Amino acid sequence: MPSGRFPHPPAFPRRGPLREGAFPSRLHDPRVAALLGIWLGIAFGVCFLTGLVSHFMQHPPSFLDWPSRPVWLYRATQGLHVATGLATVPLLLAKLWTVYPRLWEWPPVRSAAHALERLTIVPLIAGAVFQLATGIANTAQWYRFRFFFTVTHYWVAWMTVGALLVHVAVKLAVVRANVGSGRAGRAHLTDRRSAPEPAGEGLSRRGLGVAVGTAAGVITLTTAGQFVPGLARLDLLAPRRPDLGPQGLPVNRTAAAARVITVARDPNYRLEVVGPRPFTLSLAELRAFDHHTSKLPITCVEGWAADATWRGPRLRDLLDAAGIPPGATVRVESLESRGGYRASEVNPPHARDPLTLLATGLNGAVLDLDHGYPARLIAPNRPGVLQTKWVHRVVML
Amino acid sequence: MKANRGKALRGLLAAAGLAMAGYGIHGLLTMTRATNPPQAARWLIGGILVHDLVAFPVTAAVGLVLTRFVRAPYRAVVQGALLVSATVALASLPLWRGYGGSPDNPTVNPLPYGRNLAIVLGAVWAGAAALIVVRAVRAWRARRVSGPAGPTGSAESAGTVGSAPEPS
Ligand code: HEM
Repeated sequence: MPSGRFPHPPAFPRRGPLREGAFPSRLHDPRVAALLGIWLGIAFGVCFLTGLVSHFMQHPPSFLDWPSRPVWLYRATQGLHVATGLATVPLLLAKLWTVYPRLWEWPPVRSAAHALERLTIVPLIAGAVFQLATGIANTAQWYRFRFFFTVTHYWVAWMTVGALLVHVAVKLAVVRANVGSGRAGRAHLTDRRSAPEPAGEGLSRRGLGVAVGTAAGVITLTTAGQFVPGLARLDLLAPRRPDLGPQGLPVNRTAAAARVITVARDPNYRLEVVGPRPFTLSLAELRAFDHHTSKLPITCVEGWAADATWRGPRLRDLLDAAGIPPGATVRVESLESRGGYRASEVNPPHARDPLTLLATGLNGAVLDLDHGYPARLIAPNRPGVLQTKWVHRVVML
Repeated sequence: MKANRGKALRGLLAAAGLAMAGYGIHGLLTMTRATNPPQAARWLIGGILVHDLVAFPVTAAVGLVLTRFVRAPYRAVVQGALLVSATVALASLPLWRGYGGSPDNPTVNPLPYGRNLAIVLGAVWAGAAALIVVRAVRAWRARRVSGPAGPTGSAESAGTVGSAPEPS
């Protein structure tokens, strides 16, 4: 402990929650806090890592080429990201319950180091609550906040996980003195030691653990169906059902929202492929092009995923016809006139994957307007926002 | 020796954490067009205030009311079921409140969430009711064995709250 202790304050302001013994619940206990903390740390770790995967898939640094396989990778990482975040709601609230009396600890600050330590709790709680609240709002497409979700969620993640690492460093001694089979031998590490559980009539410490686990289980069971194949029938409280939508598939951005209804239906539509031997295809020529079938999921950043059967020309066949070399990156452009997602870049692993199509058909019918008629990109292991719809140009970069 | 290594490790962890947090705050304050710092700050601080000044006191008040009206060993079951109900409802709040989505896209939030929440919470409370019956039978048996003055729910029997009920 640092030696620069502050003088002890007078006792007269110790009223209300500052009173000794103001919080009688036997759940306010360092061992319970440590155990819930370990689970929270795992949960936030999973969210942070899977979140980074999603971020760098959408904004790849120049040295990184994402693979197009395994097909299910992004579905798994992003599904896990959202599922873990949802299951963390009971965990976080229970943890905050167990440590709430520490907010009113007396004296409020004992030393400069103690003040600094308490200060780092602010970004930790603020960030943790913020990440869960904005994440839940965003998956429901409830945009009450006036900041751009993905960017803010990304930076707050760094802040929160940074504060979390500081918190773990500060509390490591308390954790070691209270958790693990040899904890009795480590009791000297801190004065924050678990007291034997007093008798009581309410929820016990074990009961709290069971209740938190049950809550996380119920939340997972009733939402995981939005990305886990075969669980759609249990999908009662998720913002998407993978089989609900035109042609049995959900839509994220409709043709009306993208303002492409008229241009996409224009009979004079042309697909333009720009490379060493540029060419254009009319609708009839596009349909006459060599077609293939791919079974690929749409895997949304919002955590849902839905399987579908797509039909259309392989992207690599179109690139070959335009003389575009195998190592080239291409840009796929939508008929949308503006917006952050009107075009996407396709790197060689995805552009050359035999499963990657410029799909004109979906689940045995002509592609629905809301799914990107007349043609859309569909590639394996790629976030849904980059599966550009209403495609009219493919350009070699 | 060992203590020093531990200290160094903790120092390293804290330094890495401070660097990461600084990186995040720097990002928030640089990309202001996207992050809108005054708004982001309002939500960040708002989260703490809503928890510390509303969520915790309300939970504590509910706990206090329960001590008046629900006896051991049933109180623990009711507390556990309330915890599950409240957090399940919170995790799906925009859905059953009807917030979000857009009128031109019926595939966002497409389900009857009010009904679904009632089904899920119905299953949770059915599980809780079953546990209460089990505890009542156990207490009745214990009374029969040890006579009318015997102990009812001990801290031990108040400890378990049962496992995850399946939604139907
Ligand atoms: C988002 C994640 C987390 C949040 C929001 C959080 C929040 C808090 C808060 C507000 C406190 C009270 C601060 C104080 O004692 O001055 C606390 C205490 C504590 N936390 Fe965490 N925590 C988190 C993760 C963790 C992790 C990952 C661990 C351990 C691996 C952990 C272990 C502890 C311990 C041992 C205490 C001390 C309890 C006591 O002395 O009674 N926490 N936490």
